[in-house]
Amino acid sequence: MTELSIHGGANTASARLGRLAIYGALAIFAAFYLMPLAVMVMTSLKDLDDIRTNSLLALPERLTTFAWSHAWNEACIGTECTGLAPYFVNSLVMAIPAVAISTFLGALNGYALTKWRFRGANLIFGLLLFGSFIPFQVVILPMAQTLGFMGLSSSVAGLVLVHTAYGINFTTLFFRNYYVSLPDDLVRAATIDGAGFFTVFWRIVLPLSPSIIVVTVIWQFTQIWNDFLFGASFTSGGSQPVTVALNNLVNTTTGVKMYNVDMAAALIAAAPTLLVYVVAGRYFIRGLTAGAVKG
Amino acid sequence: MADTRAGAASGGPARVAGWLQRHLPKIVVAPSVIAALVFFYGFIIWTAYISLTGSRMLPDYELIGFQNYQDIWRLSRWNTAVWNLAIFGVLFIGVSMLVGCVLAVLLDQRIRAEGALRTIYLYPMAISYIVTGTAWRWLMDPEIGIEAAVRNLGWESFTFDWITNRDMAIYTIVIAAVWQASGFVMAMVLAALRGVDQEIIKAAWLDGASLPQIYRRIIIPSIRPVFLGAFVILMHLAIKTFDLIMAMTSGGPGTATSLPATFMYDMAFQRDRLDLAATSAVMMLVTVTAIIVPYLYSEIRAGRRD
Amino acid sequence: MAASALDIRDVRKDFGATSVLKGVSLSLAPGEFLVLLGPSGCGKSTLLNMIAGLDPITAGEIAIDGRVVNQVHPKDRDIAMVFQSYALYPNMSVAKNIAFGLEMRHIDRAERERRIADVSALLQIDHLLKRKPSQLSGGQRQRVAMGRALVRDPKVFLFDEPLSNLDAKLRVDMRTEIKKLHRRLGTTIVYVTHDQIEAMTLATRIAVMRAGVIEQLATPQQLYDEPANMYVGGFVGSPPMNFIPATLVENGSALAVRFAVGPQGAGGEVTLPLVDTPAAARGYVGKPVVFGLRPDALTDFSDAEAMLRPHGQRLDVEVDVLEPTGAEALTYVTLGGTTAIARVNARRAVDVGETASLLADMSHARLFDPDSEQAIG
Repeated sequence: MTELSIHGGANTASARLGRLAIYGALAIFAAFYLMPLAVMVMTSLKDLDDIRTNSLLALPERLTTFAWSHAWNEACIGTECTGLAPYFVNSLVMAIPAVAISTFLGALNGYALTKWRFRGANLIFGLLLFGSFIPFQVVILPMAQTLGFMGLSSSVAGLVLVHTAYGINFTTLFFRNYYVSLPDDLVRAATIDGAGFFTVFWRIVLPLSPSIIVVTVIWQFTQIWNDFLFGASFTSGGSQPVTVALNNLVNTTTGVKMYNVDMAAALIAAAPTLLVYVVAGRYFIRGLTAGAVKG
Repeated sequence: MADTRAGAASGGPARVAGWLQRHLPKIVVAPSVIAALVFFYGFIIWTAYISLTGSRMLPDYELIGFQNYQDIWRLSRWNTAVWNLAIFGVLFIGVSMLVGCVLAVLLDQRIRAEGALRTIYLYPMAISYIVTGTAWRWLMDPEIGIEAAVRNLGWESFTFDWITNRDMAIYTIVIAAVWQASGFVMAMVLAALRGVDQEIIKAAWLDGASLPQIYRRIIIPSIRPVFLGAFVILMHLAIKTFDLIMAMTSGGPGTATSLPATFMYDMAFQRDRLDLAATSAVMMLVTVTAIIVPYLYSEIRAGRRD
Repeated sequence: MAASALDIRDVRKDFGATSVLKGVSLSLAPGEFLVLLGPSGCGKSTLLNMIAGLDPITAGEIAIDGRVVNQVHPKDRDIAMVFQSYALYPNMSVAKNIAFGLEMRHIDRAERERRIADVSALLQIDHLLKRKPSQLSGGQRQRVAMGRALVRDPKVFLFDEPLSNLDAKLRVDMRTEIKKLHRRLGTTIVYVTHDQIEAMTLATRIAVMRAGVIEQLATPQQLYDEPANMYVGGFVGSPPMNFIPATLVENGSALAVRFAVGPQGAGGEVTLPLVDTPAAARGYVGKPVVFGLRPDALTDFSDAEAMLRPHGQRLDVEVDVLEPTGAEALTYVTLGGTTAIARVNARRAVDVGETASLLADMSHARLFDPDSEQAIG
């Protein structure tokens, strides 16, 4: 599209008006997307009086970080008034191993399925592909039973297992789609050179994979960090991930409703994934569009 | 592709090594396949089985046939949830697609700050639905949110209390969900627009087509698969929508914003009706399958043709 | 008799119900340069992959240096391969690429470095050793790919269309280079290509393949002069051999071919006597045959060289198309109802519509059966 718009007679008045309209529309949309975040940030920096008396669009009269520190280590979640901190740690302890394991297995699977095609490889791919579309509601009940049976109910370890098990299909798809475009000749050449399955993986395939590893890690981290259904279904009390704790904090009705604390808590819960997005948005977008399935 | 079916010619240990060499790829993939078979397909069968029993708080393995599938449709709660899903699904998908496409086409006009704008439109996708729900619930709160803010500006009679209104609450969910997902459609469509063969566009330009004509007649038709892909993914998201409801309305007021996903959760963890929870879950699965399988099938076939 | 470097005995390859190789046999003496020549899909690359051990063999036997290798892993076959895509490991430097195969064979570092130095000097890539493949030009990559194969000093080298990714000029240079290397090192090479010029210039023997069978296995000159069938005659040589529908007639004690000349036979019929005809041709008297004649055996009559062709026969025919190529002009004429091409000295070429006097050198004539398309005799 790019070059054509230049020749479109950018000098005429109507063309300039058109450009103005385009930028105007884009700015209005930008405001719509930014507004909730802006209001959250401003509100989290206000005190309660300020919130009650002034408009939510107004800048804070007095900046205070009270809401942030309160949300982090004092706010009540259910009956426990520990703030979000321990739950934030739960989420980290849950997400890091689950992301690492599922990404590693995905890489290995993707490599085996594309570069060492064996009978049934396509069937396995189909099974995994369909798995990534299953609504998790259909596995919650038996998973709860299984976790209970394994003694992992309401534990972070249980969540690591769940997120790994239900993440492998996504990671495998990501790596498979990437490795499909890696020339088979590399593996053939390495085979003649005398490298076996794992040598080819470690020495040749993995060193070519940093970008897809980043894409997969970001995708998995975002999914796992933001999960609510598994966390709400399989944990209670002190083992909850931060999303569940946030929801409980916001819905805790005892005492005065502290909107500023709610907003600070929400921002704390959103911070890691937002940070990842800001730092590596390019890879996040690639993950999203790669999620749009290619056979 | 390196199908090296060549083991060592003779000897015990060598033969074992050869066997290992040949089957290593399968051995490596096996744990994941077993996990998928158990955690996906085994669990689906288990859930389907429970939906045919009279399980309450604990699983009861005595079959009672399809009784639950009849009973569930007699529950007004379930009917409401399905109807809500229909409204939510149509509006969420429709508006997200529209907004996403408009944004993509606008961004495709040699916009100076394209990178920054794209980042702004897409960041909600990186945020948890719980955070989104928390933010929008507060914005929609008539006491303190947008309504209060507008009245504060001087428009005293302004009313925006949908979230507390039984008839309108579902639309607040649509707004929040569109806010979250439309950037995703934008990203997909924009990527597709950039992938359109520039020479075709140049040819159309030389043929005298105007810019809107080029979009309508050349570009949009050639990226149709992306619309289908976005549609399927949004549909899938809609059916799974759960977190957003829990954070914004918990399904209320009353059951005004309950969806099948919240119905299932409610039955499983609040009301000790495992049978109905399983039944609703199976129906969600069937719905998703009915959409996904034909789509995947056509995608894979198209992929083979390439 | 010395053991052959490579023996292929009735090798077959099936993918499900389709047969890609339908029984191929050949034997290669040490130091031979064999080119597998054919269009894409003829099975030449499959055969090469089976020699390498990258594709399993459905039936038959492959032996390298007298040892049957059907069940031997590629790395233990004592072969090295140069791929069409070069398949250089993108994450490794040139030196690492070359050394990888040695490293996998646990050859110690000092020895590896010595061999890398030798090979890179031989291929003049010593200054590139620290670079990554992405920093190399196409020709340099090609050299590195060859270096990776050479460093291993294997019994048999396998080349899979190694020059097809290079531009025309570089392709010719590398062709010469490969030929020189072969001369110098005396290695046994199996080389796959679809380019008949490459095949003719490089090979000591060529196997022309089509649809999973070897149509002819011969030296380049034999292939050119005595194609076993019309397919080989058409595939080898540029422009391809002329195939002129004709009738075989008796001409005194000898035989001759008779065919119409010019568009719609406007130039009447000619009868050209054949030289030393094979006995089998006797059975075709009075029947239709295909008269095969290379364009370079159909030349300018006024050429001084005509004197040197004792079996030259004059042919006067109207010119349909003229394609000057510099030194010579390809003159298109109609013989026996089809187009035939004559190679004429460009300075004496006759314009379109005029009548050219051509000379058919009957000592290079070849007769084919029109139904089986096989050579007669």
